[in-house]
Amino acid sequence: MVVTSERDDPAFPVGAACRIDSRSPWREIAEIPVGLDPEGIAVDNLRRRAFVACSRSDFVSVVDLETHEVITEIATGSEPIDIGLDEETGRVFSADAHSDQVTIIDSATLEVETALPVGGYPSGLTHVPEFRRLYVGNSLGSTMSVIDLDTLETVATVDAEPGAGAIGVDPTRRLAICVNFVAASANFYDADSFEEVGRLELGVGTCAIGIVPERGEAFIVNSIAGTVSRVNLDAIEVVEEIRTGQAPVGLTVAPAHDRVYVTNRGAGSVSVLGVADGVEWSQIPVGHGPGGVVVDPHDGRILVANAGSQTMSIVEDLLAARPPAPVFEQPSTFIGGKLPAFALEDYWTGERKTNHDWAEKKYILNFFASW
Amino acid sequence: MLVDIWEGTEPRPEVERFCEMWGIKGPILLDPGAELAGALGVRGVPTNVVVDSDGTIRAFGAARLDELEQAIDHLYGR
Repeated sequence: MVVTSERDDPAFPVGAACRIDSRSPWREIAEIPVGLDPEGIAVDNLRRRAFVACSRSDFVSVVDLETHEVITEIATGSEPIDIGLDEETGRVFSADAHSDQVTIIDSATLEVETALPVGGYPSGLTHVPEFRRLYVGNSLGSTMSVIDLDTLETVATVDAEPGAGAIGVDPTRRLAICVNFVAASANFYDADSFEEVGRLELGVGTCAIGIVPERGEAFIVNSIAGTVSRVNLDAIEVVEEIRTGQAPVGLTVAPAHDRVYVTNRGAGSVSVLGVADGVEWSQIPVGHGPGGVVVDPHDGRILVANAGSQTMSIVEDLLAARPPAPVFEQPSTFIGGKLPAFALEDYWTGERKTNHDWAEKKYILNFFASW
Repeated sequence: MLVDIWEGTEPRPEVERFCEMWGIKGPILLDPGAELAGALGVRGVPTNVVVDSDGTIRAFGAARLDELEQAIDHLYGR
């Protein structure tokens, strides 16, 4: 388990530097059951609702952010993964990976308006109100679809690389950046002409991106490498690798742009990373196997889709600034103890296997999920 | 060995698809109720638990390749 040190430090008196008089740098508000394998979240600030893409359920759960209850479930295409909401039109867009489409939902009526075909296995999307554009990363198609938010016409389909998914856009530099999970790379495009203007080799398993335009920086998650790359957008180069918790997969930039939130799928937590210092300020425990993360613009609370728990966590980050003590990892209390006895079904043979079958052997148990 | 957890549905078709995609042929155990995972306090995936020949847990977590390699080296006294 990872904890944040809470030692006394006169430079950081509790209650003076914190937003509330609390010893804990975070607070859990709620953990709300949704559908199977929730991955993406979008917030309807006007109606105080969250839309949660539940990829194994083939629907979007709509959560009331005041009562913390699920209002309804809206059927989409197969395997909705990422999701976004355009406030101007009130449209919700879900990237339905297994249907090669984007489903469009009316956030007022909560009904499906239409669906648009995109490339193979769309797994990431971002909408940019300033450009009136929706960008979709198509993992199997190795392309990026660009859709007009108002006319819903596809204005461009741009070559990317295998595993194209998450997309970040810097409106000031008019750059669109497509992150490619399989290729472990990012392609940089002119947002108007869609010409490629740069490319970066990144860590293994690149899967999420956030932009801080005023610093000219992007933060890109490398899930298998277990790092976040800080990228200089003017030079198009990696300037720093930041370690996070286990298996980071999701990222969003805090509204104040002083920190980014990174979900750690392997640790069941959210890392709070300082934008200026590149230091992990804290880790906030959430549900099991967290993925998608957004900040509710209404109250700054962090919403996290927990694929393992099949829930959405709502938590608060209570740090006003960088704490004096860094995050340190406490070793598991199970280290040095005996493995609990188990009897589990063997996938290949259907037989029950117990720990006695591996007696006097050295081995590794790798806990995994197919999502 | 692999231990499958948290599928939320019948795990076999999901594991079959996963094995085909990644070419996995090694031992796989199904823990649909996450009983063993829960007993060990597993909070995410992947989580690696390194077990010594006497059943003692030597490392926990180790999702990064360098961490896992270090844990294996330690297990074999290298």
